[in-house]
Amino acid sequence: MVRQLENRCVSGWLAASILCVGLWNAASAQETPATTASPPPADAPVATPLAETPAEPAAQEFKSLDQDVQDLKKEVLDLNRELFTLEEELLFPANTQVAVFVSMDVGVFFNLDTLTIKLDNKEVANYLYTEREAEALLRGGVQRVYIGNLKVGNHELVAFFTGKGPNVRDYKRAATLQFEKGVGAKYLELKISDKQRKEQPEFVVKEWE
Amino acid sequence: MYPGTASAASLDGKEAPDFALKTLDSRNLRLSEFRGQVVLINFWASWCGACRQAMPALNKMHEKYQRAGLVMLSINLDDEAPRALQMAKSLDIGYPIMLDDHKTVSRLYQADNMPLTVLIDREGVVRLLHEGFNLGDESKFVAPLRSLLNE
Repeated sequence: MVRQLENRCVSGWLAASILCVGLWNAASAQETPATTASPPPADAPVATPLAETPAEPAAQEFKSLDQDVQDLKKEVLDLNRELFTLEEELLFPANTQVAVFVSMDVGVFFNLDTLTIKLDNKEVANYLYTEREAEALLRGGVQRVYIGNLKVGNHELVAFFTGKGPNVRDYKRAATLQFEKGVGAKYLELKISDKQRKEQPEFVVKEWE
Repeated sequence: MYPGTASAASLDGKEAPDFALKTLDSRNLRLSEFRGQVVLINFWASWCGACRQAMPALNKMHEKYQRAGLVMLSINLDDEAPRALQMAKSLDIGYPIMLDDHKTVSRLYQADNMPLTVLIDREGVVRLLHEGFNLGDESKFVAPLRSLLNE
């Protein structure tokens, strides 16, 4: 069994070798007439035989140059990307925008009177709601209470809601949100809703994007 | 602008700065919600003698022109609301009294001399500014007020 396999391998190798030699000969036969048909002119420059120059150091030098060019290309691409980012940040300041919206759902347990917003511990908005404005929120209106600019990074928003709570008692609550500001605009929503089970208002700060 | 009206100046003919304040009876009022009506704002304080003279005169004007569409708002600059309440009660003031305890609105309107009277037209533009008050000064407001009510 092993012998049969060996024989097959040997015969296969032989066949492949013969085929290769055949092909090589055919190619040489095609090239030969062309060279004999047009001999080079007498005044043609004679090519220096390659064997005379040291090939390896030149190849290495070429390889190292190629590597340098590749590195330079990469650096140019990196720089281009950084410049693009910088340009975008400078030319589109709207991207630094942060907007805060207020909405109300049901509002049986809370009657909004004042909203104060602190961004990174700095008061940025203090809004007094008239009866008409509070009604508009109850009817589904969404109010943009603050728009400003923020740097990319981590920030904190604290919203203080003052008004009348359950049983028309003075009510003050705060809601906090830690958020990360990316390159794009940031939209935050302050949502006032009712917790039916606890019969208390609920204050949620939500990130839109 | 009407001739003879006073300085407080930079707001003349400009859109009246919007504001919202709490009244003595705990309502929140916003100026822009009265757009379309003629509004007269009076800045005052309990420690201001001229204000004490001006308020009854303005109260009479309010009673007379209220039906014609005049809205009168008074802005009190006292630090303590009870003082404002006491004076308003003693003078029997019938128009809303708003409390500017943080002085944000008085700064907006540059109310350096008291009382300051500001007349705003239906478009929300300041048409008259009058600083101080002497007896009879109310007559200076009547012509411009009637004219604005007829606009």
